[in-house]
Amino acid sequence: MFLASPGALYLLIFFVIPLGLITVYSFATRTSTGRTSLSGWNVESYEAIGDEIILGIIGRSAWLATLTTVLCVAVGYPFAYYIATRPRHVRAVLLVLVMIPFWTNALVRVFAIRFLLGSNGPASALSESLGLGTFRILFTPTAVTIGMVYSFLTFMVLPLYVALERMDWSLTEAARDLYASGAKAFWKVTLPLTRSGIVAGCVLVFVPSFGSYVVPDILGGAKTLLIGSYIARQFRDARNWPLGAALSVLLIVAMLVAVALNQRSGSGAEDGGRPRGRKRRPGQGEAEPVTAVAS
Amino acid sequence: MTEPVAAVEIEGVTKRFDDVVAVDNVDLAIDDGEFFALLGPSGCGKTTTLRMIAGLDLPTQGSLRIFGEEVGMAPPDRRPVNTVFQAYALFPHMTVRQNIEFGLRMRRVKDPELSQRVAEAIGMVRLAGMEERRPDQLSGGQQQRVALARALVNQPKVLLLDEPLGALDLKLRQEMQQELKALQREVGITFVFVTHDQEEALAMSERIGVMSEGRLLQVGSPREIYERPSSRFVADFIGRTNLIEATVESSGTVRLANGVVIEAETSAPAGSDVAVSLRPERIRVQSRGAGVSAGASLDGEVGDVTYLGHAVVYAVTAGPTLVEVRNEGEVGEPFAVGDEVTVSWDHGAAAVIAE
Repeated sequence: MFLASPGALYLLIFFVIPLGLITVYSFATRTSTGRTSLSGWNVESYEAIGDEIILGIIGRSAWLATLTTVLCVAVGYPFAYYIATRPRHVRAVLLVLVMIPFWTNALVRVFAIRFLLGSNGPASALSESLGLGTFRILFTPTAVTIGMVYSFLTFMVLPLYVALERMDWSLTEAARDLYASGAKAFWKVTLPLTRSGIVAGCVLVFVPSFGSYVVPDILGGAKTLLIGSYIARQFRDARNWPLGAALSVLLIVAMLVAVALNQRSGSGAEDGGRPRGRKRRPGQGEAEPVTAVAS
Repeated sequence: MTEPVAAVEIEGVTKRFDDVVAVDNVDLAIDDGEFFALLGPSGCGKTTTLRMIAGLDLPTQGSLRIFGEEVGMAPPDRRPVNTVFQAYALFPHMTVRQNIEFGLRMRRVKDPELSQRVAEAIGMVRLAGMEERRPDQLSGGQQQRVALARALVNQPKVLLLDEPLGALDLKLRQEMQQELKALQREVGITFVFVTHDQEEALAMSERIGVMSEGRLLQVGSPREIYERPSSRFVADFIGRTNLIEATVESSGTVRLANGVVIEAETSAPAGSDVAVSLRPERIRVQSRGAGVSAGASLDGEVGDVTYLGHAVVYAVTAGPTLVEVRNEGEVGEPFAVGDEVTVSWDHGAAAVIAE
């Protein structure tokens, strides 16, 4: 194979080869000692995914990812709308503020959230001073959800901002002029015309949150087992590499489907019919093999 | 006292954006059924005035009534007016039909009235067969018709048009001028349109309001505005003119800067400084010495000759003043640079601007 550029070499070493290895391992056999035997191909690992416990984990992960995505839209849309409707110089400042936490290591940020939500943290202190007792939220699904929304919000805000910034506001004025209330003008004009930003943001948030394992592990105390943590466990503790690999392949395929759907909807007549060339770089928030591969 | 109610009545309206006064204490009444133009250079406040009538901007102070009803602070969806936007602002994610239906649907108009009115509007702007297209599949002229239909289908009491022909090329613009006039006569709705193109304003409207730096300088018929400008700005902005400094001698005569006394009507008191506006096409140019039959004349020398095909424009130096003369339909080039000539005009041609 002729390598045209260093980029191709990079992709080969860090994406194609690991992906190939994972695919190969997913068809391998786990010996009784926990080793992986490459002789004797089978689909047993894929059949094992049908197990009730694993399906439950997948379902829970999908639910958490969906919840995170919906909350990110709910928080991110008003936020992006606010930024996009400020004067130009204010917009630049606000965007930098959005980006700053993003430049901090993801792990550090999640530990910061853990401190904030912990029983010795400020949230708890406030709750105690109000006479509401100790604030017990850490290591609950609520804490995990808060952490996930915080971690992935930037992925939602940026594409939404891009879509809203391109919005032709004379269209909402036209809607108001044609007897639409402010809310109606938003539903009938602004929202449909920023749809591609919403779809892009949803994919960018859903994909990494589905496979996320750093946030649930640190904030959920590993009590709520999710697919990302479960895969990590197969490679580390359970020493069932074929099952971990099979689950990874499944996750990658699911995410590729999501990305493909996004690209199809993005090529439609949205965004005021204006063509948009957007470049996505998802999966940078967490140093995690599964999402990195999926991106 | 059965004076008809004005379609739009603006009283002492001022609009400030931070420190900038966009519209400065404007009073204006637009009659029912009138085709009215707000004319002025960019940044003169004409678009802001229109936007305040539409409700897209709210006045800082003053009163704004539409058919007697105070609407100054009402939101745009509570006003009986519709707007044709400058770049049309058609909804790109909707078809032509959906665009036109929008206002009716917002007001919960149901079938069969809905489809009947939409069909009428589509027929009126000759867009039958285009109903299912999207705006980006239409030409500029067609988009403009959709914008017109989208506004008119609501049967507004006043139609506002913001530079409606600005985005069209010259030929199409002239066609649309005729079409808009015909359309206005047909529907009988008051049209208020904003333009920076003085020819367009003269050609289309029954009355013109000239604005500059937020102030409304003069309101009148195209003929009044052109022939009896009330200020230097209006005289200079509408068409071309010669502005000659002068002093009032008596109620019927003024003395030009070069000492020549001409007859011209003015109400300004004797001794006050005025300007005399002389339109180039109202002035004749003759060889020096040929009998001058007209009311007033100046001797001068041809400084420049510009041949335009349908007209010849002379720049004649008469003492300290430079007079532009435009001879329409002249055959040949009777005068050359340096020729000694006399320029003359009839009494009625000179308009005195008391300012």
